[in-house]
Amino acid sequence: MTYSVIRGGAVTAIVSVLLLTACGGRPDGANASADPGGVRLVNPGKLTVCTNLPFEPFQFNQNGEVVGFDVDIVNLAARKLGVTQEIVNIDFAVIKSGAALNSGKCDLAAAGMTITEERKKNIDFSVPYFDATQALMAKKGSGITSLDDARAKKGFKIGVLAGTTGLDYVRSKGFDPVQFADANKLLLSLDTGQTGAIVQDLPVVRTWLKKPDIGAKFELIANFHTGEHYGIGMKLGNAALGKVVNESIEAAMKDGAYDAIYKKWFDDAPPPATTP
Amino acid sequence: MVRRRAPSGNHSVTRLSARQRRQLAHGLQYGILVVGVIVIVLLADWDAIRQSFLNTRIAKEGLPQLFTVALRNTLVYTVTGYAFGFTIGLALALMRLSSVGPYRWIAAGYIEIFRGLPALVIFLMIGSLPLGFPGFYLPGGVYGMACLGLGLVSAAYMAETFRAGLQAVPKGQMEAARSLGMPYGRAMVSIVIPQAFRIVIPPLTNELVLLFKDSSLVLFLGVTSSQVELAKFGNDQASTFANPTPILVSGMTYLLITIPLGYFARRLEASREIGR
Repeated sequence: MTYSVIRGGAVTAIVSVLLLTACGGRPDGANASADPGGVRLVNPGKLTVCTNLPFEPFQFNQNGEVVGFDVDIVNLAARKLGVTQEIVNIDFAVIKSGAALNSGKCDLAAAGMTITEERKKNIDFSVPYFDATQALMAKKGSGITSLDDARAKKGFKIGVLAGTTGLDYVRSKGFDPVQFADANKLLLSLDTGQTGAIVQDLPVVRTWLKKPDIGAKFELIANFHTGEHYGIGMKLGNAALGKVVNESIEAAMKDGAYDAIYKKWFDDAPPPATTP
Repeated sequence: MVRRRAPSGNHSVTRLSARQRRQLAHGLQYGILVVGVIVIVLLADWDAIRQSFLNTRIAKEGLPQLFTVALRNTLVYTVTGYAFGFTIGLALALMRLSSVGPYRWIAAGYIEIFRGLPALVIFLMIGSLPLGFPGFYLPGGVYGMACLGLGLVSAAYMAETFRAGLQAVPKGQMEAARSLGMPYGRAMVSIVIPQAFRIVIPPLTNELVLLFKDSSLVLFLGVTSSQVELAKFGNDQASTFANPTPILVSGMTYLLITIPLGYFARRLEASREIGR
């Protein structure tokens, strides 16, 4: 009896091991494809990019397609690699912690993401490709002109995007802001009165206010001149991909492709300080 | 056994006795289990698991806010939502059994709609309510919104539970009460509803467990750091420290409540069986 049990077990063991070895390839080895430059992509033939939608004009849905400034910037690198870009919409918290990159969800993170010392511990950044600051936006006639005015009003709530430098900035001024999971909900909170004002990246606020229905209701209150630079994020130590991204951005800044992208999304030429 | 039978005839190879078949099946099952465990143990990178999921240094960073803020808020959202859902649910159950047609239709319609909608959709709707109803304001801000959202969802489920409970009370109870001269309403409140409650306590406890988990959706309403609940707390901490341990810790904290509650519900169920 013991013998037959053991034999049964042995047969199962062999079968299971065969099955497991047949389908148990390790993801980092099996799925990655190598190109001549030594760049390994999580999905062969595609440059998979994590972002948090919408973040107009950097990435947003237009006629069922994700487009924007960041999308065009990453396309420069994709073209250089000879692959197409695929965009994954994901929580910003997972992007900035590096979890999305480390878990092999995507090759790059392009999400209008500011380069900070703290984030550099968890992700590698490309060269800066955009200058931004934080701005305060409120309903027209809100009566506030600064964060201090907001502080003086009792029950006045400031809204921010969760996990962003906007949150860090408002916190550093002693507020406990209401955090939203994406920019749509942030803007909605201002409309519904859940928040009295919101702090958001200036280029995003400017793009919002250019739209007639939003511009009619809200206004830019203040620019905080936080002096931030956006960078494309990638997994720590992914130097091969970093090199391609940096070279594609630097080349575009030299040959005018960058200016063309800038003009496409902001209707004007980049300020002279943009070139790093 | 197998060895002894092997030379006796050519049938023995294919034909196993019932007992042998059982032994073989048993052997196979144990074999699969053992191999599965061995494969997992061998494939797992235990250092990486410890570093990423069982990092005590990072787990400690969340204390004491994990309990004093996150768990507390989760409980507040759950209990207020449950109380609201309980009240509406009971009313709906009585409407469903009413002899007035429109009441039955309204209750049936409500139950069908709110049981059929994902809780997330309801939360997103609540965030936008003030757009359609200018001046709409819920007391308590996000606490009010969470109470409404969780209440609306759970009311539909609880209504069905209450209805089942009310219908499970033997008809003779109502008839006896009526024959004693009690009016219908009085008989309902004093005789039928208390007995129905006794019947529905276990399923209602399960509903509490479900609601406790659904409270994680509050993050989509936009919360300040003092209003944060367990799931967002864990996600934010994981993002800040670039380590998923806080997510595991949040999960364990949910279990601290849900496992005892589930046990309690089963105990109640068991004791009711004995009581019969």
